[in-house]
Amino acid sequence: MIKNYCELSIEQLHDLLVKKEVTPLMLAQQAIALAKLDKSNAIEYLMEKEALEFAKTLSEPEVDNMLWGIPFIIKDNFSTKNVPTCASSNVLSGYVPVYDATVIRKLKEKKAVAICKTTLDELAMGGTGITGHLGVTFNPHDKTHSRLVGGSSCGSAALTAAGVVPFALGSDTGDSVRKPASYAGLVGFKPTWSRISRFGLFPFAPSLDTVGFFTRNVADLSYLLEATAGRDDNDSTSSSRLVDNYHDQINKPVKGFKVAVINQILQVIKDQDIKNSFTKTIEDLRQKGVVVDYVDMDMSILSSLYPTYFVISCAEATSNNANLDGIKFGPYYDAKSYEEVMMNARTKGFSKFIKRRFVFGSFALMSENQNDLFIRAQKNRRRIVEAVNKILENYDFIYLPAAPSIAPKFTDKSDALSDEYLIADNHLCIGNFTGLPSLTLPIGKKDGMPFGANITGRAFEEGKVMQICSAIEETTGLKGLYAKGE
Amino acid sequence: MEFEPVIGLEIHVELKTNSKMFSNAPVCYGKEPNTQIAPLDMAFPGTMPTVNKNAVIFAIRVCNALHMNIDKEIHFDRKNYFYSDLPKGYQITQNLRPIGSNGYLEIEIDGKTKKIGIERLHMEEDTCKQIHFNDFTLLNYNRAGTPLIEIVSRPELRNGEEAMKYVEMIRSIVVYSDVSDGKMEEGSLRCDVNISLKPVGQKEFGTKVEIKNINSISYIQKAVDFEIERQTKLLLAGEKIVQETRRYDSNKNETILMRVKTDAVDYKYFPEDNITPIVLSDEFVEAAINSCPELAESKKYRYINQFGLNNYDASLLISDKDVSTYFDELTKFTKHYKLAANWLNVDVASYCNKNFITINAFPVCPKSLSELIELVAKNDINSNQAREVFASMIKDNISAIEAKEKLGISSQISDSDFVMNIINEVLKENPQAIVDFKEGKGRALGFLIGQVMKKSQGKVNPKLTNDLLLEELKKR
Repeated sequence: MIKNYCELSIEQLHDLLVKKEVTPLMLAQQAIALAKLDKSNAIEYLMEKEALEFAKTLSEPEVDNMLWGIPFIIKDNFSTKNVPTCASSNVLSGYVPVYDATVIRKLKEKKAVAICKTTLDELAMGGTGITGHLGVTFNPHDKTHSRLVGGSSCGSAALTAAGVVPFALGSDTGDSVRKPASYAGLVGFKPTWSRISRFGLFPFAPSLDTVGFFTRNVADLSYLLEATAGRDDNDSTSSSRLVDNYHDQINKPVKGFKVAVINQILQVIKDQDIKNSFTKTIEDLRQKGVVVDYVDMDMSILSSLYPTYFVISCAEATSNNANLDGIKFGPYYDAKSYEEVMMNARTKGFSKFIKRRFVFGSFALMSENQNDLFIRAQKNRRRIVEAVNKILENYDFIYLPAAPSIAPKFTDKSDALSDEYLIADNHLCIGNFTGLPSLTLPIGKKDGMPFGANITGRAFEEGKVMQICSAIEETTGLKGLYAKGE
Repeated sequence: MEFEPVIGLEIHVELKTNSKMFSNAPVCYGKEPNTQIAPLDMAFPGTMPTVNKNAVIFAIRVCNALHMNIDKEIHFDRKNYFYSDLPKGYQITQNLRPIGSNGYLEIEIDGKTKKIGIERLHMEEDTCKQIHFNDFTLLNYNRAGTPLIEIVSRPELRNGEEAMKYVEMIRSIVVYSDVSDGKMEEGSLRCDVNISLKPVGQKEFGTKVEIKNINSISYIQKAVDFEIERQTKLLLAGEKIVQETRRYDSNKNETILMRVKTDAVDYKYFPEDNITPIVLSDEFVEAAINSCPELAESKKYRYINQFGLNNYDASLLISDKDVSTYFDELTKFTKHYKLAANWLNVDVASYCNKNFITINAFPVCPKSLSELIELVAKNDINSNQAREVFASMIKDNISAIEAKEKLGISSQISDSDFVMNIINEVLKENPQAIVDFKEGKGRALGFLIGQVMKKSQGKVNPKLTNDLLLEELKKR
């Protein structure tokens, strides 16, 4: 049987590449073969020709470049020059970008090899991975295909979890990397807002959007962040702070770190197995000299998370997607007036979920409603940020289960008005409201399905976040987890 | 019943920066359509705006010229609406915090100065250009993203003349501060007028009508005055003014209905999150202000108070920035300011007009022209000769001295002794003329000067001759 290299970590692959035991071309061929066999419906566009051509040019290993020749996949809302990009929406069918997103450019410069563009919830709006124009993306840990993998970065999560590539690009506006990471047993990460350039990431809600990554261990993530973080003149919001040497930091001792667990969020989680595993990781952390305290947060703030997120993200989304009018790119439907042309493109191009969000977002921005909805949500966002910052005055991190359950079945119904849904299922957007670095990693399994926990740290303390997550990872036994094939 | 017009102007000025407001595509007028575009200008997904520093500098210059408060924190907002000329589906503009607020400018009406308040000045981006045909429309994105400033006056103008003077003044400021071409015909300065009428003494404003896209300064006065008359007639006839948008037809000299405004469009303004607020240092603002070239009003003041020009000549010189630049250059080479101004305002101006050229295409450089002016000033040649020299300088592309030689003009004789000798000779030969002069016959002086000229073959300096002859006659 042929060895599956793609299930290995970046670090392991780098060793093999340097020793010339494998070549970038072999890795690319294997990743493409696996991608073709994959049944999770995760691919928007297979970059077979592009990947093989590029991999062929890589002959002499770069010893100091961890990403040299490493195959990876790209959520289909990153602009990729000459490679079709539609964000899983019919409104952009056939659109071929003329430029590379900054993260894509940087990864190319590092000679990482892009294998395919992956599915997402349409235009990155959604958390289920079922709303893209190609239909449902399945969770590879469930061979019966009855469970979702989560979204919106569903395709990137599914293929990384299936061991097709060692890492994937995603984007995170509410929890779009960190939530599927929990359902798919992956490390899922969003950095501080402004740490990685967003230039070329199709905007959903710019004040919340971040580039994110999936990996199967924390160390791999440190290389990716070092390679992609930093000032970019194309994104004037990007930070000019120097990029840390994250990898040097991750194995340092965590003794003395202070971690806060928010009581009110933990309390609304019903799943005892998840709670037990979570508590177990806390005990392990304490063993390593970490201080873990349970702290309180105002329930009214927590209940407001989801509505606040919904108002702000939908409002911003209506405006950011107003460019999709069929005139410049995407399918064009001829008509008698420009209004009709736009109406056709948008009526035919967007699914009902997107339309619902746009209607809601426009409603929230209308001048007669703005005070009651959009501005009120902005003010509440400020209140949330203050409450979180107050905790982080005394603690290095906030630590919580990433989700209240394992990946739900497609047939499961959740009570959208329950605290469990409103709070435990949606608290990860705290990381987006505050712009803080946040990482989900697997801490346990139930019924064969993984679940994760989430660490959120202070601004620009990505290194420290990875450091403590690395310490947690040591004790879970789930480092390098992936869903083995049939 | 008597009505009082209330007029406010919104002026859009295209800035002549090298690149666009938020992208690095060049700002060019008249290039091949759709060749001056960056991905952002067509709103390709994922593109992000970066603020053009020079546009901010230019905006600050104008704010300063208009005595405005300058907000040292730059904020941008989105103005959302769907239209075929708006690539992103929103325009990046400044809604809540315009860079400039609460200023004024002064216009001169019948010799009196009137202050017109200016509410705000904000930065934004232009849309793409549309050309409509019967069954299709062409879009040219070269213009999309061109930096604009919008200057909004307070409703303090009262008639067409004031409106015109106001626009003239804004134009002069943006042209002199070197931030725009200010060409209404080419659309680099565009003016929308809001007019309403109210009974004299009433506080509340009446229903306002907007006149859009007036493309020449003189039309502004005509359009406004026509509209005032139209609304007055309607009101006197007991009819209501409808809130509508009209355009000015210069052929018919009237305003024509474009569309009736139903509910105002809700632009759903909210902050542009892709641009974090930019804090301007005091040094930056100061440097922007100091980088502004001298404005027209300051030049005019200098011409009058330093150069001793009269108001008319000074005003004429500054009415065209390039002429005043030429004049400034000219004054580096000659101190005969009045004469220099005359030559520019009369001879040079008429040459340019006749040949349909601007001063920039005028073939004689300031230094060269100054040499001619110097010849005239020291009476080396008389004014008729000077015009011949001027014509030859242009025609033969030679200096004033060369032209004078070429034309065989010998210098006027200004040697007093030499002139005196001839005067004495002439007086000796014409005793009757002396008697006539003493008896007050005006013609006698002219006759005697003519005789001196004749004897010297026209070479003596006429002014010197005149002076010496008068002196001598008094003695006799």
